Amino acid sequence: MLKLLGFILTLAMAWPAHAIDGNALLKEVDRNLNPESYEMYRKLINLEPDGRKKEFTLFSVKKGADKVAALFLAPASEKGRSTLRLGDNMWLNIPNVGKPIRITSLQSVVGGIFNNADILSLDYGDEYDVVQTEQPDPAHLLLLLKARTRTVAYDQLSMWVDKARTLPTRIECKTADGMLIKTLHFKEIKDFGGGIVRPSVIETDSPLYRGYTSIMLFAGIKKREFKDEVFTLTFMPNLESLR
Amino acid sequence: MKHLGIAVLLMVFYMLPDRSWSEDNYTFDLDEIEKKPYQVAGYVEARPVLYGLDDDAALYRLRFYDDPQGHTRWQINGRVRLEGSYEKSIYRMFARLNTDLAYDDAGGEERTTVYEAYLSAKAATSVKIDAGKKTLKWGKGYAWNPVAFMDRPKDPEDPELAMEGYVMATADWIRSFDGPLTTVAFTPVLFPVYDHVNDDFGETEKINWAGRLYFLLYDTDLDVMFMTGGSRPDRYGVDFSRNLTTNFEIHGEYAWLPNTRKLVLDAGGTPRRTREDAHAFLVGLRYLTGFDLTTIVEFYHNGAGFDREEMKAFYDLVDRGYASYQDTGNASGLAQALQLAGSGYARPSAMRNYLYVRMSQKEPFDILYLTPALTCIINTDDGSLSLTPELFYTGITNLELRLRASLIAGDGRSEFGEKQNDYRFEVRAGYYF
Repeated sequence: MLKLLGFILTLAMAWPAHAIDGNALLKEVDRNLNPESYEMYRKLINLEPDGRKKEFTLFSVKKGADKVAALFLAPASEKGRSTLRLGDNMWLNIPNVGKPIRITSLQSVVGGIFNNADILSLDYGDEYDVVQTEQPDPAHLLLLLKARTRTVAYDQLSMWVDKARTLPTRIECKTADGMLIKTLHFKEIKDFGGGIVRPSVIETDSPLYRGYTSIMLFAGIKKREFKDEVFTLTFMPNLESLR
Repeated sequence: MKHLGIAVLLMVFYMLPDRSWSEDNYTFDLDEIEKKPYQVAGYVEARPVLYGLDDDAALYRLRFYDDPQGHTRWQINGRVRLEGSYEKSIYRMFARLNTDLAYDDAGGEERTTVYEAYLSAKAATSVKIDAGKKTLKWGKGYAWNPVAFMDRPKDPEDPELAMEGYVMATADWIRSFDGPLTTVAFTPVLFPVYDHVNDDFGETEKINWAGRLYFLLYDTDLDVMFMTGGSRPDRYGVDFSRNLTTNFEIHGEYAWLPNTRKLVLDAGGTPRRTREDAHAFLVGLRYLTGFDLTTIVEFYHNGAGFDREEMKAFYDLVDRGYASYQDTGNASGLAQALQLAGSGYARPSAMRNYLYVRMSQKEPFDILYLTPALTCIINTDDGSLSLTPELFYTGITNLELRLRASLIAGDGRSEFGEKQNDYRFEVRAGYYF
């Protein structure tokens, strides 16, 4: 009897969760992570195996599905740098250099494991389709995501979602042939006010950078509306005025 | 019971804070990033340089004809850059002050310059007005910008250096749209040239106007720009930049320079002023491989530059002047050559056609924050070139370390072959605060 129960349980966990609309669930995950338009502060910490670390602080704003901008507040060597994303287009503005230059999603303006796509992330639902939904254990759903276009930084994502909160707990980012690039671990659920309750920490490790870890801490997430003109090259040097 | 025990253990394990996270227990307090109305920042740099001199080269003879240096020469350079801003309501003041220091056997010198100092008024998100000294930095090229009509020329060997601006008034007007035309921005510029105001730009007692119209159209950056007013001949330009894929960007610039004036030497060594319509353009690409090698390639054509014969005539003039100085002690020929050098013959990229290739490998062998790079600038008119390998390290917060060598190859009478140095080694340590 116990064997039969175990078999049924295993089957239930491995069986695709057909009853669930994966894309609708992904949209819910996105909205639970952030409002569609918001401002937020983030601290990125790159930890090296010998214990050394490097920190970056950013102020970010987002509007709608495809407009994101971020301004570096610290350290002093990066202060004033800003990045802008409009859909697949990304630019970096360095105050000394003076003019925005185009950058790519796979580059990293901060070094370490986080790349530009992580720093200027859009909603998952805007870049990926859920191609399969599984239930690996009673508390989680596993969404297998496939990038809609080749311009997306990671071709495939495996997203473990906490069923109770509809929030991700872990995301594995993979290449088209399934090679693991990095794993994001979502931690420390926090109430940011305004109905935003979400992980305040994302920890990242990568088989490509063994022993290294990157951590993203979140603060001051607020729903906020912006004019479209904020998300333009001409406005990039003025992002500080939004704070 | 045994299974229950394992389940409890597993639950306890999962409830424990993650090891790597708990070790340092990082915090992020909003007080850390509280915005202040004023901001002060700075940068200090030390840059010792060893030059390997070429005492047969024209530019060596021109500079050191009365003070021979031997085979090597060292110089210790320093830089202090201070900047501050104050913001109140819709207004913001910004100033950046730069001091360059240089010490060598002959002594030291110091030059302090206000790089930028301007007042901004941001009347709305889509409208901003600036007045004061500032840089515009028009163009999409990395090493050269033929459409940067109102900026000082970049040094292609160090194109990311901060530069001194000009006194001007500008406005930015931005509109965003849905659809293929995503953004339109217009930047009019008022640019006075009078005694003590931008007087190194061109003819004085003139008010110059310029403008740039920017479009983001079908995911392509497009600019159209002009400058008129008389301090320099009118000029018109366009540029573009576009990502073909996530790791492949192309860009280009074109400038039409009618009535370009130039002081050139004819084959007999007589200087004469010429006036001609010229074109300048740049085409370039930036490509990132899967293993993080970034390659920048640019080709630059400057129709207003000197051709090979004009350049040879200049080097001949230096040689004649040097021979005359050695024979008679009369330096008048070299003085004339020095004057011509200042008017353009000795400036970087003085000739017509150049190829720029830079390859930089981010974090090789998983060494974080280390970027080795190799830069090659080829004068395709005469085949001479400079090759610059470097190591750039940013692993210590706010400290940048750069180790760089610069090697030159070229025959006599070629641009790089006639530079004063055969090679150069430098270490640059810069600290931001």
